[in-house]
Amino acid sequence: MGKLKTPIWESVKISLSSLRANKLRSILTLIGVIIGVTSIITMVSLISGFNKLVADQLATLGSTTFIVEKFGIILSDDDWFDAMKRKDLTLADYQAIAAGCSECEEVAIQKASNRKVKYGREHFSRVPIVGITPNYMKVVALDDIVDKGQGRVITEFENDHRRQVAILGPELVDKFFPMLDPIGKKVRIGGIDFTVVGVPKKRGSFLGDNQDRFAAIPFSVYQKYFSNKLEPWEGLQFYIKAKDYPSMEKAQDQVRAILRARRHVPYHDKDDFGMYTAETLMDLFKKVTTGISFTLVGIVSISLLVGGIVIMNIMLVSVTERTREVGVRKALGARRRSILLQFLIEAVTLAVAGGTAGILLGVLLAKVISWTTPIPAAIEPWSIIAGLLVSTGVGVFFGVFPAAKAARLDPIEALRYE
Amino acid sequence: MLIHIRNLWKTYDMGQAVQVQALRGVDLDIERGEYLAIMGPSGSGKSTLMNLVGCLDTPTEGTYELNGRMVSQLSDDELAYIRNKEIGFVFQTFNLLARATALHNVELPLIYNGTPASERKKKAQQALAAVDLTDRSHHKPNELSGGQRQRVAIARALVNSPSIILADEPTGNLDSATGAEIMQLFDRLSKQGHTIILVTHEHDIAAYAERSVHLRDGKIEKDERRAA
Repeated sequence: MGKLKTPIWESVKISLSSLRANKLRSILTLIGVIIGVTSIITMVSLISGFNKLVADQLATLGSTTFIVEKFGIILSDDDWFDAMKRKDLTLADYQAIAAGCSECEEVAIQKASNRKVKYGREHFSRVPIVGITPNYMKVVALDDIVDKGQGRVITEFENDHRRQVAILGPELVDKFFPMLDPIGKKVRIGGIDFTVVGVPKKRGSFLGDNQDRFAAIPFSVYQKYFSNKLEPWEGLQFYIKAKDYPSMEKAQDQVRAILRARRHVPYHDKDDFGMYTAETLMDLFKKVTTGISFTLVGIVSISLLVGGIVIMNIMLVSVTERTREVGVRKALGARRRSILLQFLIEAVTLAVAGGTAGILLGVLLAKVISWTTPIPAAIEPWSIIAGLLVSTGVGVFFGVFPAAKAARLDPIEALRYE
Repeated sequence: MLIHIRNLWKTYDMGQAVQVQALRGVDLDIERGEYLAIMGPSGSGKSTLMNLVGCLDTPTEGTYELNGRMVSQLSDDELAYIRNKEIGFVFQTFNLLARATALHNVELPLIYNGTPASERKKKAQQALAAVDLTDRSHHKPNELSGGQRQRVAIARALVNSPSIILADEPTGNLDSATGAEIMQLFDRLSKQGHTIILVTHEHDIAAYAERSVHLRDGKIEKDERRAA
């Protein structure tokens, strides 16, 4: 017994022509899948863009640097109440670490609070003022950023001799000195005069934190003028750079031992201070975005499910409408397989067309969001492939039932169908 | 012998143990090249016989040999193969695909046996020429008259060079003048050597055929040949 072979391409042509015959219906059918795939692409782009941005920012901290502070990473209210009861880190702690940590290359201090900054009649209220030891700039690579800007960094000499000098954020400079050279000008910070010595390059915002709106002054000067108004969350922060990557862990252990001894932490108790690295922060951030991703997968799945059901519904309508056509095709020698393929390809074509439109829309949306908001977008090639695969899958899954129904039609009944 | 039917029965289950015997033991032989009409009032079983002869259905009992092959117990897909190869259908309501051109409609049977596109087009053009519709090949059914539509359907039936052309009330939806034209076309095809089976309840249509088989209550009542 010979076999009838219908090339797949013929089935594709038949399917396309019937989709063209119902353009509006085909497009409306696609909306569910379009929305689903658009959300996949947009969300994946934004999350991965965000991850990259965070990774870039944390990279400035470097892989050999860690931060020690009273609070550490706070994940719950309980953490917060516990941390509030802790002792502040002191200058004596700093000296002990600087003297006792052999694996540490640099131990820097940062302390911050908000003050009013004024020049002439212009002013900013609540500008973050950071008091820093000069090596802090090296640890967080602020020295490079000032190099790319104007002027110079704060020197050890200036810190030792309590010189009232400041590095001024570019946003403040733009407002105070729109036409003038800011270097050497005097601004008032918290009521004290400071001479501007350096201006860093513009960096923009990071996670809603404006990195161009700050002023850095020598730690000694900060202690002298601003430290008496201490608020409980304004302890010292230590930025510590280990000698190299292999000595990271040893350096952290040394610092931990020194602080635990100085703060009399019992042997079995947890640290009463926080210590974290760029990696810790990145891991934490990834944990958060992974959580968001899973939620989004759920939402996207629902819209794809709805999209698939719409496709199935319209395919069932289409099969019923074309019962007679199926009868004619069967009378002319179409096998079950040919009819099945015809309707299945139709469903898959619908779904893939929706998927393609969704990909284009998703890429466009991600671009528009990254142009109009500070949220960056990185289009991931795998998400485009996933979009195509998922939409094909939806087409096959929800197309099989209507197609099988058409293929099973009895030719006599089908020919008689009105 | 082209068609050899012996003791053909068809019983339909109507549910709740009710059975309808549409055919009750039909014997029928048809030679190649015959022009035959199957006649009978509604309910006589002529549609059932046509479905069986057209390989759209299988009998409950009995044997049907078509062109040397026993086709009475084949699967759906095997029947599809036979329909494609051996049978050209002409329906009362034409049953053309509304979206497709005349040419594409005629090509359909060829698509289902995998004929290459260029050959398909050529064969379809030839079939349209055989029914004098070469100049209408790119028109869609709604741009054609009833008679032209039926001629497209006949071209579609011819295109695969089937063993039999099976026409079910081919003039039922046409006015009498157009109907006569279509019947003349069948006459011509018969003279060219095609085997034609008409299913009709109209005597003047059956009169075109050389032989008429009358069915009543699922049995052959009369089998007469027109004097040549």
